[in-house]
Amino acid sequence: MTLPLTPVWFVALPLLLAFASPLWVRYRLLMPLLVGTPALLLLLAFVLLPEVRTGPLLETIVIAPPLGIHLQLDSASWILVALISLAGLLATAFIWLSDAEPYLRDRRAFVFLLLLIAGCNGMVLTGDLFNLYVFLEIAGVSAYALSALRRDASALEAGLKYLIIGSVAAVFFLFSVVLIYLQTGQLNMAAVAARFGGIPAPMQLLIGLLMLVGLGIKAELFPFNFWVPDVYQGSHPVLAGLFSGLLVKAFLFVLFHLVFLLLADPQVAGLWLMGLGATTMLIAEVVALRQEDMRRMLAYSSLGQIGLITLALGFGMQATTAGGLFHMVNHTLVKLLLFLTAAVLLRSFVSARLADLAGAGRARPLAAALFVLGALAVMGLPPLSGFASKLWILKGFAEAGVFWPVALILLAALIEAGYYFRWIKVLYDPNGDLKAAAPVERMAYVPMGVAAGLIILLGVAPFLVDDLFIEGAQTLLDRGAALSAVLGAGS
Amino acid sequence: MLAFLDDPKILHGIYVLGTLTLFFIGLYGLLAKRHLLKVLISIAVMELSVYLLFVGLATSPGETAPILSDGLTEFAGMADPVPQALTLTAIVIGLAVLALGVSLAVQYHRLTGKADIARMTELKEL
Amino acid sequence: MSAMLRLLFFVVSLSPTLLLVTWDGSLSWALIDGIRLHLTLTPLAGFFLTLLALAAPLVALPMLRRPCDWPSLVLYVLLLLGMQLLLLAGDFVSFFVGWEVMTWSSYLLLLRSSRADMETSQSFILFNLASAFLLLAGILVFFSLTGDFAIRSLAEPSLPQALTLLALFGLAFLIKVGTLPLHIWIPSSYDQAPDAFSAFLSGSVSKMGVYGLILLPTLFPDALASFAGRFLNGPAFGYLLAWVGVITSVVATFKAISQEDMKRLLAYSSIAQVGYITTAVGVGSSLAIAGALYLALVHTLVKVLLFISVAGIVLQTGQRQFKDLGRLIERMPISFFGVLIGIIGLAGMPPLPGFAAKYLVFVSLVDARWLLLLAAMILASTAAFIYCYKLIYAPFLGHANSPGAKEAREAPWPYLVPQVILMGLLVLFGLFPGLAIDVLIDPVLVGLQMAPIGAESWAKLTTVYGGYDGVVLMLVFGIAFVLVTGLFLLLRGRMRRAGSPYDLSFAGEVPTADTPLHYGAGMGRELRRIPLVGWILRQGTRGFYLGLAGQMRAAAALLGNLYVGRPQAWILIAVVVLAASLAARAMMGGL
Repeated sequence: MTLPLTPVWFVALPLLLAFASPLWVRYRLLMPLLVGTPALLLLLAFVLLPEVRTGPLLETIVIAPPLGIHLQLDSASWILVALISLAGLLATAFIWLSDAEPYLRDRRAFVFLLLLIAGCNGMVLTGDLFNLYVFLEIAGVSAYALSALRRDASALEAGLKYLIIGSVAAVFFLFSVVLIYLQTGQLNMAAVAARFGGIPAPMQLLIGLLMLVGLGIKAELFPFNFWVPDVYQGSHPVLAGLFSGLLVKAFLFVLFHLVFLLLADPQVAGLWLMGLGATTMLIAEVVALRQEDMRRMLAYSSLGQIGLITLALGFGMQATTAGGLFHMVNHTLVKLLLFLTAAVLLRSFVSARLADLAGAGRARPLAAALFVLGALAVMGLPPLSGFASKLWILKGFAEAGVFWPVALILLAALIEAGYYFRWIKVLYDPNGDLKAAAPVERMAYVPMGVAAGLIILLGVAPFLVDDLFIEGAQTLLDRGAALSAVLGAGS
Repeated sequence: MLAFLDDPKILHGIYVLGTLTLFFIGLYGLLAKRHLLKVLISIAVMELSVYLLFVGLATSPGETAPILSDGLTEFAGMADPVPQALTLTAIVIGLAVLALGVSLAVQYHRLTGKADIARMTELKEL
Repeated sequence: MSAMLRLLFFVVSLSPTLLLVTWDGSLSWALIDGIRLHLTLTPLAGFFLTLLALAAPLVALPMLRRPCDWPSLVLYVLLLLGMQLLLLAGDFVSFFVGWEVMTWSSYLLLLRSSRADMETSQSFILFNLASAFLLLAGILVFFSLTGDFAIRSLAEPSLPQALTLLALFGLAFLIKVGTLPLHIWIPSSYDQAPDAFSAFLSGSVSKMGVYGLILLPTLFPDALASFAGRFLNGPAFGYLLAWVGVITSVVATFKAISQEDMKRLLAYSSIAQVGYITTAVGVGSSLAIAGALYLALVHTLVKVLLFISVAGIVLQTGQRQFKDLGRLIERMPISFFGVLIGIIGLAGMPPLPGFAAKYLVFVSLVDARWLLLLAAMILASTAAFIYCYKLIYAPFLGHANSPGAKEAREAPWPYLVPQVILMGLLVLFGLFPGLAIDVLIDPVLVGLQMAPIGAESWAKLTTVYGGYDGVVLMLVFGIAFVLVTGLFLLLRGRMRRAGSPYDLSFAGEVPTADTPLHYGAGMGRELRRIPLVGWILRQGTRGFYLGLAGQMRAAAALLGNLYVGRPQAWILIAVVVLAASLAARAMMGGL
């Protein structure tokens, strides 16, 4: 019997493995499988890549479209799927290799981590609005449970806060899905898109706003992102890295996928999203200036970058969109690296507060050096990958002759430098005399090293991958092709 | 006497009014109540209102259940089965979320003795 | 192993030299989405690469002294690579990449010092990044006009376009060179940087801003001269820049005089010198550009020499304040000569090349008929004599005022070798002022399509306004020096030699060894009582920038209130936003 290599494995494999977890506990396979699953998915993504580049892979389960469950792996969603697998691989490898806290290594964590990956993959791949809701909740529930995993007061608080705000977001999203179904009688995204223009304008607006609030909360856009710092601070840094690196990216992608697919003329919506993105970016960067806790600071920085990506994607030109997708990848790598560094520092010095980390660079030189690398990359300084993607975005804006985003992005980067360099200075404080409280496994640096290597590689030789992002941007923006791919050429 | 209810427009109007009322009751509870369990219940009420809206507006008076049996062999005059199936799924999901929320709230209460959402202040700006 | 690595490091520090010798043709590297990096070597960049090639190995030597700080060496290598990329850049993207690599690696090098404090490091990186981002903004505007990133002259920019570009690029480069209101990051960072690295910051890194300033007018060859008209005999737009430069020089000179710390004094003097260069760039004629380049050359040599001498003094005595030093002339004679030659070059006195450089700038100002500027510049360069005097007097003459100064020995050889080489170079260029013109500067002028200065022979500096013969001048000064020294030595035997440094008395008191006696310490303090100068010295931009930072923090606190951890507030905001957008839409469009 041969197993066909189809997109469904991106969802099915982690789901199956997660539910069979008692078996893995018994055979002591938990950790190898935890790392192995995203590795396998990454491998699968690369195996499917040549096929995806020739045309989107559609997979329909149950009935023919527009009825039925529908998965679509095209150049745009391939980027996200590969990114999710890669981020999952790095984070789980860190959990395994760093000999992380027991609560991250037991069965519950295993189940929720795999469910998170399955949910994110599903969200990105699905072509069906209700499935989207289901995957959104799967990813959501596993994220709530993950952030409460430590079961102390702060973790439970983070979990509860996340759960409350997340459920509200889900209700809003579900509301909009219900309205769409009642208006069009369809749930398949392409079919909905074909009829979306026929919905009366006020209803369109209501649906759009409900969806914006729902996905905006999940994708951390201002003014719906007030929960983010609390949750990131309360969760384990590795998990915060996963949320910032993979969950938010999936939601952002879904948001823009819907905008570009449903709206025949996404200009107005794009402009609004650009405004939201710019506000998110500026406010988050300014607030980050006075953060004294590394996890919180990274949370705000993550918000800032999300704002930048929103700004780029909202513009809807090919260059900015491709740059935005590339920046998604870079930001995931960088934030993961930074959060893993934070995990190492938190473990070594018990605190993630600025005042308690003075001189940490002496006790943990490698971690501090990786933090510096990540900080340089996140600010978009060459020759690191953040620069390449930022340059791409800025070039896109300059080509179109629109300069206000350029000014805002550069201003935000300057503010960002204000706090990142403050942290760097404190880490290398010559007067700090810090003794590490707990040892760190040397192997823990392997995933961080891989991320750092990728950041440098993508910074020096981004031409290796830029085709992928250009194709991804074209797929994302080409509404007509997306519709005819699903519904047939006639529609 | 209640024949006017057979008019789908009026019936749907009543459904809309009712579910929206329910939605806003949930929203009120969510915003005004401070006990964690009450907040979770409010979220559940909001979800419920959305399910009701979905099922209610997707069916019109006179439609039968979409089940082929007892001589019914054809899809005619039946309610659209999709919303009902979806609602079932959504209820299951909502239940799971609610269960997780309640269990977290109980654990939180055991650990800290607090059940007030406004007093969850462990995580804050330094 | 360690020795091999150090050797390797030294070889890398020679890479600008190797590049200069071996580079031919060009190199190209694809970056992303059709952006390619092109590397070529223009004559102008070649000149600055020469300066880098001179400074890099000389600064590398003291850094190699045991115990080595390995991260510093790695960062220094990165810095050198970044600067070479910047100079080789044939397009703006590689220019920017080099610029940024230079910025962050020099920042991280600054952090290696144990004295760098938060305010200094933050101001260093924020000013430099502001400069970099202004540069990037300018590059993007340029890109939107030309459609690619190549560095070339703009065909016919409209006035607003040219002004935007000029403002963005100009501000970027002026921050880097540190002209007046934007100089705040320089004194403290040159002061607090690792001692050998200060030499490089002042000698080489600041020259990259000068490179940019000279490059900038080439982007609009005609526009700059024409769009603001001409003032007297020079471009009116340049007149503004020239004034910025001169005011910078004047203020920085007086600030330098009032400094109590050797490295801070050198930092302010560095600002003043770069101010002269800015003035010369503002004049913009071929004489002035030649003067600017010449000044850049001399400033690199002099500042590397002085900073390394000072680094040696700090290393051996542990002191950096003038009041704690003194009487090192006997203990550190080679450093003494290093500083002596250095200040002669710095003050622009004949027979060293500093004179030739300033002469060219003065002549260009005369040529442009900008005599007010000339007067101000002469004021600054005359006042510079005072701090030069302080620099030689306070550490080397007078009384040793600290145990460190009393027991110091000559600096180790990694500090002395660069000093000797630089002294030799300064004397060489002093003897042959035409050498620099002929070999280094004229090719650049030709490359910029300007009239070359020309030199009859290497010994002569000739301009239309006259010139001089370096060999003759050096001979005169040499003979005078020999005569005076000989006379002094002859006569000294007959003078009563002081038994101890404290063998003097005034007002009936005989000071003891506990009495601090130091002329250099209070020098410049009285300057504050001079009406205008005192006012200048009391002004500072630090308060403004600190206020700005305070405002940012206040804004952060205010906005941070949004992120208080109350889930119900979050939901309320979301619902209100939803309702408000619906209401707004209903009011505007009518639902």
